[in-house]
Amino acid sequence: MLKRITLPVAEIVNENETIRTFYFEKKLGALPGQFIMLSDLVTGEKPFSISECESGYFGVTIKKLGTFTQALFEKKPGDLLSYRGAYGSSFSISGRNVLLVGGGYATPPLYYLSKELLKAGAELTVVNGARSKKELVFCERFSNLSLSYQRITDAGCLGRAGSSVDIAQVLLEENHYDMVYVSGPELMMRAMRNLLQNYPELNYEFLFERYMKCAIGICGNCTIDPLGIRLCVEGPVLARDKIVQLTEFGEYHRNAAGIKEYF
Amino acid sequence: MKNDRSRISVEFLGKRAATPLVLPAGIMGMTWSGMKYTWENGCGIITSKSLTMEPRKGHAGPVIAEFEGGMLNCMGLCNPGIEEGLAEVNEFRKFYEVPVIVSIFATTIDDFLTLTQKVNESRGDFVELNLSCPNVSDEYGLPLAASKIKVAEIVSAVKMVSKIPVIAKLSPNVSGLTEICTAAEAAGADALCLINTLGPGMLIDIDLQRSVLSNRTGGMSGPCVKPVALRAVFEAYSRVKIPIIGTGGVSNGRDAVEMLMAGASLVGVGSALYEGGIGIFEQINQDILTYMDQYGYGTITDIPRLEKM
Repeated sequence: MLKRITLPVAEIVNENETIRTFYFEKKLGALPGQFIMLSDLVTGEKPFSISECESGYFGVTIKKLGTFTQALFEKKPGDLLSYRGAYGSSFSISGRNVLLVGGGYATPPLYYLSKELLKAGAELTVVNGARSKKELVFCERFSNLSLSYQRITDAGCLGRAGSSVDIAQVLLEENHYDMVYVSGPELMMRAMRNLLQNYPELNYEFLFERYMKCAIGICGNCTIDPLGIRLCVEGPVLARDKIVQLTEFGEYHRNAAGIKEYF
Repeated sequence: MKNDRSRISVEFLGKRAATPLVLPAGIMGMTWSGMKYTWENGCGIITSKSLTMEPRKGHAGPVIAEFEGGMLNCMGLCNPGIEEGLAEVNEFRKFYEVPVIVSIFATTIDDFLTLTQKVNESRGDFVELNLSCPNVSDEYGLPLAASKIKVAEIVSAVKMVSKIPVIAKLSPNVSGLTEICTAAEAAGADALCLINTLGPGMLIDIDLQRSVLSNRTGGMSGPCVKPVALRAVFEAYSRVKIPIIGTGGVSNGRDAVEMLMAGASLVGVGSALYEGGIGIFEQINQDILTYMDQYGYGTITDIPRLEKM
């Protein structure tokens, strides 16, 4: 299960200046929302959510943030990388009329989810928000799927200014959804949780991000208060029943040493 | 009768553990809620991460590498430092009547004493001296547990200061382990914890042509270390009178019973969380009860130990 696989990068797609999708030709068999631990065995190892997964290949979409991702960005097709996984909980594939809300570089995992939901026959509305037009990713991919797709930026360069939460608010008022999936920055997701308090009957699932080391439920770095569940095993996808109990959500997370860092 | 958990409750150094299972240092014990989650799932005693004077981020990844018989890890003593770490212990202990072992790591007697004084002021129930981390030798040289003189010095110094029982966590990667165990006992240790991870070991990725672990080497755990742990516990049990926490490779109830028969009073379960999931603790508890029923043992202390060497 923890078997590590080392293989060449098949293709790298530049989504924008700081976001790239790395493709590998390998059957991963991951479910939407799951992640892999990717490493060059030199600079580090980090978790990345699966943004695409078909029978012959899979992709992870990576934002350049620190020294490790910087090293990844120097890789070219044919260069070797090593991964283990896929790990973690996955999005349920449920709902007939479904709203998906993404923010920034956390949106791509919703693309894989969308494809699986469409296969299951669901009607989808996808909201993709980012700070600027350049930071909106996967627009073309979403546009090519048969779903209702809306984009928005903080700056308003696409005609309206605001966040994906603003659009979600309007959509929730005007439509009847039976499932909501969210993947975005934590403060955006907290705003979604607050918004969804107005819909007590509506089920939802969020994709969480925490500092992970072992990714197999042993080291305890990614436990979340007050439940103590591990986001690498019981997460990274959590459903409403768990999310409403989280006190740490949107308040703080713990760094590599386990010290609380407040948002 | 079968599900009566009081049958597997254990008295340990004046505290009552609901089950004989111990969460060893380094596993899950970083946050108060992680401690709570482990206890809720059937663990009887919780050990904190090994806490150090200053916070440590640990080694860069990969810090875990699997192989056929178990895994290697080189976490590198990641922990939030003694202050924050004890805050997590206190937060847990404030609400839950569950014994907590505070593990501490230092490289000098002075630092061990400073850490112990801080533990004195906490809600921790026991202090465990990590004398045996195999993953920081680049920084600190050989583990202290390699020398019975150093082990005795540190244990006796800490005993002078500590207001709570002192456990010495020792390394299997030494010669003359039983002498080190008896030295720890003679220096006043209230209990031993055996064993820390084995090795260290190494794995190589032949495609990238590099060591898999970032730190090149890492301590070995999982099913493959069980025979070594059993031998170490049994030899120590044969020579010392103080209780022993037996840990190393325990993955199921029968392994746990083996550890008890080797002479352990409590049984650590760590790496088994990976294959067994969080349900592993309750599974082992139930399997111990099943074993007790099979042989007609009323309480866990009725399970016989092997005859001493």
